[in-house]
Parts: sequence; C-alpha cells; structure tokens
Amino acid sequence: MKDLNKLTDEQIIEIVRTKDKELYVEIVSRYQKKLLRYALFLIQDKTKAADAVQESFINAFINLNSFNLKMKFSSWIYRIVHNQIMNTFNKNKRELPLLDNIDFDSGKNIEIDFSKKEIKERVDRCINQMPIMYSEPLSLYYLEEKSYEEISDILRLPMGTVGTRINRAKVLMKKICQNTK
Amino acid sequence: MSKHQIDITKNVMAKIKTEKIKMKPKWYFWLGSLAIFIAVVGLTIFSIFLISFITFSLRSHGPMGIVRYQQIVSNFPWWALILVIVGLITGTILLRKYDFSYKKNFLFIILVFISAVLLAGVLINILGFDTFWINKGPMKRFYQQYNGNRQKLNNTIINNRRGKRPPQ
Repeated sequence: MKDLNKLTDEQIIEIVRTKDKELYVEIVSRYQKKLLRYALFLIQDKTKAADAVQESFINAFINLNSFNLKMKFSSWIYRIVHNQIMNTFNKNKRELPLLDNIDFDSGKNIEIDFSKKEIKERVDRCINQMPIMYSEPLSLYYLEEKSYEEISDILRLPMGTVGTRINRAKVLMKKICQNTK
Repeated sequence: MSKHQIDITKNVMAKIKTEKIKMKPKWYFWLGSLAIFIAVVGLTIFSIFLISFITFSLRSHGPMGIVRYQQIVSNFPWWALILVIVGLITGTILLRKYDFSYKKNFLFIILVFISAVLLAGVLINILGFDTFWINKGPMKRFYQQYNGNRQKLNNTIINNRRGKRPPQ
C-alpha cells in the first residue's frame, strides 16, 4: 500500500482484477476530481454531474475485465463518462446549442491570436454557449490537457476530425467571446 | 465539490464491498468478441458467396435478348439481393458498434469492404470455382438447380425454333 503512488493506473487495475478489488478506491480517488470537472463542464449541474461520474465508476468496475491493459486507462474512463453524459442528455432531452449565423473561416491564423493561456481564462465565460461537439474536444484539450490521440480515443473520432473541431471551436469561441464582452 | 467526492467514493466502494456490483467475468467479454468476430467473418463469406452466386446465375442464363431478360427477372434470386443489403447494413452497424473503425475513415472502410466482397465474388466466378461447386461441395444441389434452368432455357429455345410446344 505504501508504494501505491508509484503504481500506474494499469498496474492498479490488474491488482483490482486479480487480487484486491477494494484497491479500486485508489482509482476512484485519482479520477473523481478530474471526471467531476469534465462532467460538470458538460452538464452544468452539480448533482447530475456527480451522478454521472458515480455511475461511470460503477460501470467501469463491472466491465473492468474488458479493459485492455495495453491501452490508457484514463482514455477508457473518460470514454465511459462521455457515454454516461450522452445518456443523461438523451434522457433529459436537453436541447444542445445550435450553430446559428456562424460562419467559419480557415482558422489557420487563430493560434497566433489565441495563446493557450488566454483561451484557458476565457473558457468558463464563453464555453456554455458553444455546441457540445466543439466544446467537448476543446475542454479535453485545454482543461483536461489531453493529447489529440487521447481525445480521439475518448470521443471515438479520427485525429483529423479532433483537430478540425478544436480549430473550429477556437474560431467559434473568439466570435462568442467578442460578442459577450 | 468535496462533498461529491466523499459521496462518490463511499457509494461506489460500499457497493463493491457488499457485492451489490460485481465484475463481469473475462469469458463474458471473450464470448462477446468471438460472437462479433464470427458475425463479421460469416457476413463476409456469405456476401462473397452471394455475389459469386448472382454472377454465376447471370452467366448460366446466357446472352439471349428478351428471353434472357425474362429468364433473369423470373429466376433472379431477389431474396439473395435483399439478404446482401440486409447483411451490409448489419455489418455497418456491427462495425460502428464495435468501435474499431473510428481511427480510419468509416466511409473508406465500408467502400473497401464492399469492393473486396464484389471482387472476391466475381473472381470466384472468373476462376471457375462455381463450376467446381456444381459437381462437388456442400452447395452442389443448389448450384445444379440454377444450372439446370440454363438447360431448360436451351431446350425451350430449340423447341420454339422448331415450332414445338414444350412438354406440359
């Protein structure tokens, strides 16, 4: 137990699967804060976000034997939360923001205008007005600091699509932020 | 936030300790993967066979203008065509559901799959495997039935030319 911090997620999962299932508490404590932030960002409701994360941990435990240890556990658990939240959306039939009167340009020079730090500061103010298909990859990239490959695994999208959506999200955010100043 | 954290940990671990939730065994997932694998492989073989059979059926009826057209319409295995369409839709759903296609262009995968099935079906026909199946193999009777139609057609044409009615 004393060397628990040195163990990777995947090593802990292997122990949970074969020897000590109560060690799952370590996985819960490692991820609950991050997952709550991610869920809250998407749902905007603390209770629903907590419920979604709790259900995700339960589903992850039940299906733990389907997890491939060669893959990243973090991508797997984020994917489960993503699915759980999508189910919540479907149940509640929440209307997602639509893209009205917004045109996209090529987005090639956006990175010059928006540094990573600036985007982080503006995310909370503007993000709620964005469609989830753009806000989710943006949050995973900037808030959760996931790589394009990890986002591709979480959202089950090709890497090119992830890049396109993040670039478009930046363009969209620029427009929204300018209008909401 | 901290309240949620405590609740989640407590709730999840309480369910694990009291065995209200249990891990599904490994064999459950192996069985699922095996079923999907068999379904995809079976679907592929089935589609190749049907394409091969359709081309065989067309070839078997020969180039005879209106007679050929009528023969094709009356004898064409429409059920096979419907099965191919249903099979392709099922395959597409399976590919989507199993999530192994998201890293590549999904449309590209489907197009490659359909092209491969069509090519394999036509190749079987060109290489004469279906002729082999008329005489041997588990599909012998099935192929002979459709090959037999060709013989019937030839007899009908010969009888028409001679002004004879086919036997009732």
